[in-house]
Amino acid sequence: MSIIKEFNDIAKNLSNHYVDHWKQEGKKVIGFTCSYIPEEIISAAGILPFRMRGVGATSTSIADIYYGPVNCSFPKCILQLVGEGKYNFLDGAVLMPGCDSMRRIDEGWRKAAEDSNGSFPAYHCFFGVPHKVTTYGLKWFTTETRNLATSLEKHFGVQITKSALKNAIRQYNESRDLLMKLDEFRCQETVPISGADVTAVIIASGAMPRKEYNDLLEKLLDELKHSASAIKGKKRLLIGGSLNDDVALIQLIESSGGVVVADTLCFGSRAYVDQVDEQEDPFVSLAQRYLTHKLCPRMFGAYKNRLEFTKERIKQANIDGVILQNIRFCDMHSNENSLFERDLEAMGIPCLKIEREYGPLADVGRIKMRVDAFIESIQ
Amino acid sequence: MRKEYKEYDFDAMVGSMMSIGALLADGTEKECYGMLNYAPHFRDIFEGILGAGEPGMMFIKMANNFLQEVLTAHDRGKKICLGTFTLPPSLMRPFDIIPLWVEPMTALGALMWQRGVTEYLNHCCELGFSETACSGQRGALGAILAGLGVKPDFAVCNCVGACDSNATAFNFASEYLDIPLYTLNALPTLVDERTYEYHREDFRGMVSFVEEQIGKKMDVDVLRDILLETDKQDKFIGELQELMRVKPSPVPGVYAFLMYAMRFIYCGDKIGTELLESMIRIAKKNLAEGRAGTTSGKEDARVMAIYIDHYAAQLKPWQFYDSKNISYLGGALDYFWHSHSPYATGLEEGCYSIDTSSVDAMFDSMADQMSRMPMVKQLRGPYDTPHQWKSDTMAMIKTYQPNFCTFTSTVGCRNTWSAIKMLSRDVEKAGIPALVLFGDSFDDRIVSWENMRNRLDEFIEVRGILK
Repeated sequence: MSIIKEFNDIAKNLSNHYVDHWKQEGKKVIGFTCSYIPEEIISAAGILPFRMRGVGATSTSIADIYYGPVNCSFPKCILQLVGEGKYNFLDGAVLMPGCDSMRRIDEGWRKAAEDSNGSFPAYHCFFGVPHKVTTYGLKWFTTETRNLATSLEKHFGVQITKSALKNAIRQYNESRDLLMKLDEFRCQETVPISGADVTAVIIASGAMPRKEYNDLLEKLLDELKHSASAIKGKKRLLIGGSLNDDVALIQLIESSGGVVVADTLCFGSRAYVDQVDEQEDPFVSLAQRYLTHKLCPRMFGAYKNRLEFTKERIKQANIDGVILQNIRFCDMHSNENSLFERDLEAMGIPCLKIEREYGPLADVGRIKMRVDAFIESIQ
Repeated sequence: MRKEYKEYDFDAMVGSMMSIGALLADGTEKECYGMLNYAPHFRDIFEGILGAGEPGMMFIKMANNFLQEVLTAHDRGKKICLGTFTLPPSLMRPFDIIPLWVEPMTALGALMWQRGVTEYLNHCCELGFSETACSGQRGALGAILAGLGVKPDFAVCNCVGACDSNATAFNFASEYLDIPLYTLNALPTLVDERTYEYHREDFRGMVSFVEEQIGKKMDVDVLRDILLETDKQDKFIGELQELMRVKPSPVPGVYAFLMYAMRFIYCGDKIGTELLESMIRIAKKNLAEGRAGTTSGKEDARVMAIYIDHYAAQLKPWQFYDSKNISYLGGALDYFWHSHSPYATGLEEGCYSIDTSSVDAMFDSMADQMSRMPMVKQLRGPYDTPHQWKSDTMAMIKTYQPNFCTFTSTVGCRNTWSAIKMLSRDVEKAGIPALVLFGDSFDDRIVSWENMRNRLDEFIEVRGILK
């Protein structure tokens, strides 16, 4: 199997053979819902952190029992899969108030388990993350991180040693380094890999053991160094806004004559451009990195930082146009995308702002038509 | 926005209408009702509020005072802070700053005009808000962003962590108007020492921010006076709510609205205290006469709102209940969690109290008070954990013993809409019929009042509420 195909298989399916193998060895898996949760802690406990997604959900009939009609379809799809028993392989869950819709996976999951006699994982942690960066917020986050470690130790009867934690930090930093190297390929004039494949690579990071991930990614980078394939003459696009773990959305955009060479997404560059300091106390370093890493709009009052980051990415990747998308009912990305559109257009950078549903390309025709027209307009 | 809507400023129009309303309140009954014939569009709202007797007249004057303060602030050399209803306005008075809270402004517009605030709601969408972003902000904010309202000097928002739609609207306004913004963060927990410490630090950060904006220190003597007045108001609110527990409730339904509206614009101010005293006087008189607070003096059922009220239909929801002899007991906006509150029994840990013994004690009291404001308190953590939406709702039900509960909200309220189906089931399990009404509290176009009223009628009949 080619490396790219392997990454795509992992990204396009809920579980994969790495997780199966991990479980067969009697080891534990913990689901988590947001890029603000320090995975290193879970990993240092010898547990596989698994980023929960809604991939494969074909309906929200179960989730709609708990959620209202004006909530985001991403958490609904996760809850749907939970209700269908697709996440029964999890031994625990770390949930957090990423946004007002995501936070309710917690209660919805518990209620769904009560209603259907289904499974709510024996281990459960609600991880409180402040919505702004302050010194007292950092103190709060550090305590949350320590509490997470303590609760894992207590529940699973493991010990998170300092050396295990440092080792996990090193491994995750290595992933971030490798993904930055992948970015360098994307920034070249001739791009050796499509945006859709890069999306698959990034998504896989949350769904497989970190060592195997790093090994696979290194092999991919090695292949790309010697790759003869090249994408040329296409409009270079940056995609920003709501999370996207749907490879097909990027394929759809690229089928219109563009190539996605950069992003500011949470399943994307926001997850790897900042490193964890390996010299300091690991809990403080993790808190520092996770609280202050390239910010999601859930962190209020930091629009200018995000605009700067977007501008940096535009410059690095020599972008021709920006696609700003948001999942329906996401006020944070919708509002902020409008500010980006205003400010980037004023700088002469063409922008397309679109709203979409999460899931199996529910509105493929509409999105395709708008992307086609956008790419045509920047030609 | 249509050209004709740009002819007049939103706040000036609301202010002008309120100033006329305030004059009517001073007239004789004959003069007042005679004048209302010439203002058919505003008749319902003024008649409804004036019908509440002395408190109604006081409320119109109070609202007028609030609007005139905003409209004339800059001429008087005062700064204006843009804020949200979950911030006690008393926070700004010790700085001599005029609080311009978005949702009360939107509610006034939605209540007073037949067309509501639709053009301003739309304007926010034209600027890029999602069309389902919370209408509570989009109304007045739409006008401000269109330049049809006094431009605030800076903004403070304490909904961060409790309402994304609200917080992101302030984020947008700050960037769009190029004004500084300070955010206060509601954490998912409330009563542990770590949370107290965080909130108190956050509050002190706000004080420093505001001092920086105005170039002077907070007047702690004024703060002390305001806190003492707030304490007095809290006790009066507790007294009024204690009266609501009586069957029949001697408190007119619209008082619940007047009470929190006062709290959102004149907390800690004598104007607000006088309004509360007036309401208590009338409720006590009703009690002495054995009358309910309804127009007929009878109580056939009691209703409690699980969340906010519906403002898009003027006062029709209150009038609807009144016409059916249903005592309206208020909703989540009426509960501030002062330690004197009748519903706080057994939940004292989640309450605040006022301590004016030192500056630090006053700051801590303000921080605690702020973190217990409606919505900021109940919608910060998992809805079924202690001191959150479920426990608060159940405490209200236990205290006021309604025959049924209703939920109305805005379509932008992701936080309540993501939990109300679960909460309404809990309420039903507790033996109280619960009706979840889809609609928008500030936008009649989402679901018309007629449609909502039909659902209410049907619910009351099917569930045998009045039998």
